[in-house]
Amino acid sequence: MSLTYLVLEDEPLIAMDLEFAIEDIGHEAVVAVNNAEARQAVADNTIAGAILDVSLGDGETCEPTAKLLSEHSIPFVLHTGDLDRVGEHLRALNAPVLPKPQAADDVIEKLVGMAEKA
Amino acid sequence: MSDDTSRSGLKSSNQAHRAIYPSDAQRDAFDGSSGLLFEQAMGQTRMAVCLTDPRLEDDPIVFCNEAFQQLTGYREVEILGRNCRFLQGPDTDQAQVAKIREAIRDESVVVVELLNYRKDGSSFWNTLHLGPIYDEDGNLRYFFGSQWDVTDIHQSRAEERHAKAMAREVSHRLKNVFAVVGGIVNITGRSMDSRDVAKKINERIQALGRSYEPTLDEASLGTIHVGQAIRSVLAPYDPEGDRFIFEGNGVRTEPNAISAIGLTLHELATNATKYGALSNREGTITVHWQHIKDKMDNSALEVTWIEQGGPRIEQEPDMDGTGFNISKTLLNHARGVLEAEWPPEGLQARILVPLTRRSL
Repeated sequence: MSLTYLVLEDEPLIAMDLEFAIEDIGHEAVVAVNNAEARQAVADNTIAGAILDVSLGDGETCEPTAKLLSEHSIPFVLHTGDLDRVGEHLRALNAPVLPKPQAADDVIEKLVGMAEKA
Repeated sequence: MSDDTSRSGLKSSNQAHRAIYPSDAQRDAFDGSSGLLFEQAMGQTRMAVCLTDPRLEDDPIVFCNEAFQQLTGYREVEILGRNCRFLQGPDTDQAQVAKIREAIRDESVVVVELLNYRKDGSSFWNTLHLGPIYDEDGNLRYFFGSQWDVTDIHQSRAEERHAKAMAREVSHRLKNVFAVVGGIVNITGRSMDSRDVAKKINERIQALGRSYEPTLDEASLGTIHVGQAIRSVLAPYDPEGDRFIFEGNGVRTEPNAISAIGLTLHELATNATKYGALSNREGTITVHWQHIKDKMDNSALEVTWIEQGGPRIEQEPDMDGTGFNISKTLLNHARGVLEAEWPPEGLQARILVPLTRRSL
């Protein structure tokens, strides 16, 4: 069964790579570049799981989306190049943190595993 | 010191190393032999000291030593009779001042760090220790204040923080660059129908990225923590964390040695996953690293790789695959070597990379 995954990522090439990796295994991806788009995507789709880039530029972090997903019990992973900047609030949400750089396939494999368990 | 600090007027008085020249001023406020000893001690110490009299209006300073005058730039006549707050200025943190007020009110001891100002307008970071002094009947007699100039410590702390923040930013950006490069390779591989090739390229890029990953944050030090780099490169091949045995100390090495070692370890681990100690459930790999001296007394970084418990090796496998060729070429450019032996119990490899810096 094809599921829909959310990719929150402001770097287009990384977003595209993750999107392709999701499509490779027969699922669908919705890409958001900021929290507002992510909120809309969650409202418009049945999201099975999400990959959240922690730093979205201009000091924006994925925290609002992480909270929203937690409220909906949607599993997600944090994808970041700066482990120090994950911050206490995000750590408190207890999602796996996958350090960048990491092969897109591995990121997706981890997420799909979580979504299947959920 | 940076221009910033001189512009803001922040200036250390080098208190710890400054000689104290006793002034000629005679005082008669402290009588008796203990008074004399007090005077002499106070005249000599580099610790700036003052006493205030809380029984007088506005708790004025009634005694200050020579070090206090040198620290603040005021002479005794300008100091006595004034409340200590005349040392405060526009950037003095009022929260710290409030702590001083509380301590005076409660007659308690307090140590605060605050920005104070000298007579010439320059400022300094002052560690102020303040506490009550009682007479033999237990009546509050003075407040004792000692001042120590900690401007140097403040500045080195600020510089360190700045350097760390910069290193982190560079590290973060570089990791993103690695991630973006990985994305380009994958996307290109897909569009040219060469996914397998793209995957292999990407695995090497990721291994290279991981070699630098844990150490970039401290890149300002100019060297890389070998053990951390090795662990990061190999982590993905050992998800349970029970297949690698790491034996090495906190040795650091120069960054250019790490690329070749990181990629070689990646090839060794890939090989072990396919054919060696990581291809079954029991095998382990011992990785050991150290700095050694060669015959010419030059320093080198040596990493050894010993596989055990994998499938028995019947004959020496071919180490001419692309991966090992890349490693060998890289090592060769670094004037290093990769030696491998294949006893039946598993591969034993040794990577040697000469170091160019003498200080390591």
